[in-house]
Amino acid sequence: MMSTKMLLGDFGTSYSKILDLNESDSSSRITATRKLAPDFRVDLATGHNARRFARHQVNELTALARGGEALIGEEDFLLLDCGSRDLKFVRYYRGKLADMGWNAECGASMGFTIELLERYYQLDGQQMAVPEQGFSVTCGVLGLSDIFDAVVSGVPEAEAVARLIRGIARNAYNFVGKPDKLYLSGGLCENPVFVGSFPCQVISLGRFVLLAGLQRQARITQIAGIGTKPPKK
Amino acid sequence: MLIDSTKIDYFKLKRVGIVGVPPRSIINDLQRHQVRIYDLDEPLTPVSLETVGLLPQVYCAILRTVVVNALHLDLDAIFIDIGPGKCDNAHYTARILSHRLPIPVIICHNLDAVKMGNPICRSSLPLLEKFRRITASVIKPDPAPDPPIACPPKAGFWGVPPRDFKLLEFFPDRTHVYGWTRCMENKTPADHVLESYCNSTIPTVFFAQSFCPKTALARFLATCHPQALYLDVDSHCSGSAQAKIQAFLELSGVQT
Repeated sequence: MMSTKMLLGDFGTSYSKILDLNESDSSSRITATRKLAPDFRVDLATGHNARRFARHQVNELTALARGGEALIGEEDFLLLDCGSRDLKFVRYYRGKLADMGWNAECGASMGFTIELLERYYQLDGQQMAVPEQGFSVTCGVLGLSDIFDAVVSGVPEAEAVARLIRGIARNAYNFVGKPDKLYLSGGLCENPVFVGSFPCQVISLGRFVLLAGLQRQARITQIAGIGTKPPKK
Repeated sequence: MLIDSTKIDYFKLKRVGIVGVPPRSIINDLQRHQVRIYDLDEPLTPVSLETVGLLPQVYCAILRTVVVNALHLDLDAIFIDIGPGKCDNAHYTARILSHRLPIPVIICHNLDAVKMGNPICRSSLPLLEKFRRITASVIKPDPAPDPPIACPPKAGFWGVPPRDFKLLEFFPDRTHVYGWTRCMENKTPADHVLESYCNSTIPTVFFAQSFCPKTALARFLATCHPQALYLDVDSHCSGSAQAKIQAFLELSGVQT
């Protein structure tokens, strides 16, 4: 059984989010995953790198769903998580899981590609405008060609990158089934072009949804007396 | 050479490959002539799928496996079902193999309609064992004696036998099997009514091989089912596929 006082971690491909329930303020913090000490360990973790840093792991989709249950408070909702490496979503209907998806191979590396491009072209993502048109992209790597072609043909670099981001948002929108309203989590919540490119109502929940899910999952497993997934050897 | 199943001389055959589920009459004849049968749908050689150039890389992993097996096993003939119980891709693969191989490639249309039942699909056996028994039964004309006892279902798996059986390890023992695999056990691979049947009261994973036309049916049935996960997997069960199954079962309240 797990104590309610514990260290939780969402170890993403690029960034890790840590929550120390032992501290009085219990605020979450973000750090680059590559800057974490190799011997850093938490009690319960999720994310692509969870296995490296955790004694116990929770499946990312489970953490996302539990986070949605904890934060949204509606019986019907669609929650989409857009991180560095992949897209994940869960859809609830009448309080129960109705659909889910995880796009980790085809359609992947979108968040990571956006960050690389903003650094390469020295762009401030907070200052970029939502473009009128976007590229038709299915993954970050394939989208790069569109950027380079656009820049060569005279499109400003910021506009070209914004078109890619808009294309990524539209791709994610299609992936989750074109809802009227969606809740958004993950690093791309903080990108105004991305959030503004969805043709539907978007409610950003920020980057700590999976941590909220871990908290909820820890409580559920404690109540049920069942364990979480032990680390693989 | 591509030939019809009525023109085969069984006395000349010692080792043959089969693709899909050929008619029971053919399996019966092969068994009667003591011909060794290899199910080419299953990985039988250690050769990588990437080394075979006959089919595009983005293609059904089962048929790419068929081609690898056909090129690397020493066979006297290959029987390929290209009827309504299989797919157009098998038809094209048969034509390609007939051009490449010096042995007869025998096309057949399995329209068997005698129902042999599906006790394995409805049993409490581990899902992996269910699939091992059902796929092994493809070389036998009749069902195995002493069928396992039926149990109430805990979860459902709809679809074809996956290329990577690792996928099956994440399901609880009382997972019932639906879709084309149920047709396989029933010895009626072209029974589209049975193939489309599923149980709407249990959480069900609707699986198809990536790039297979059955992805359309799997996705459609998943949208009609109240507790469904649509899943397509290529040659190997990836970490995200595994995570999807585990999260789906857990969030649907199925204890594994």
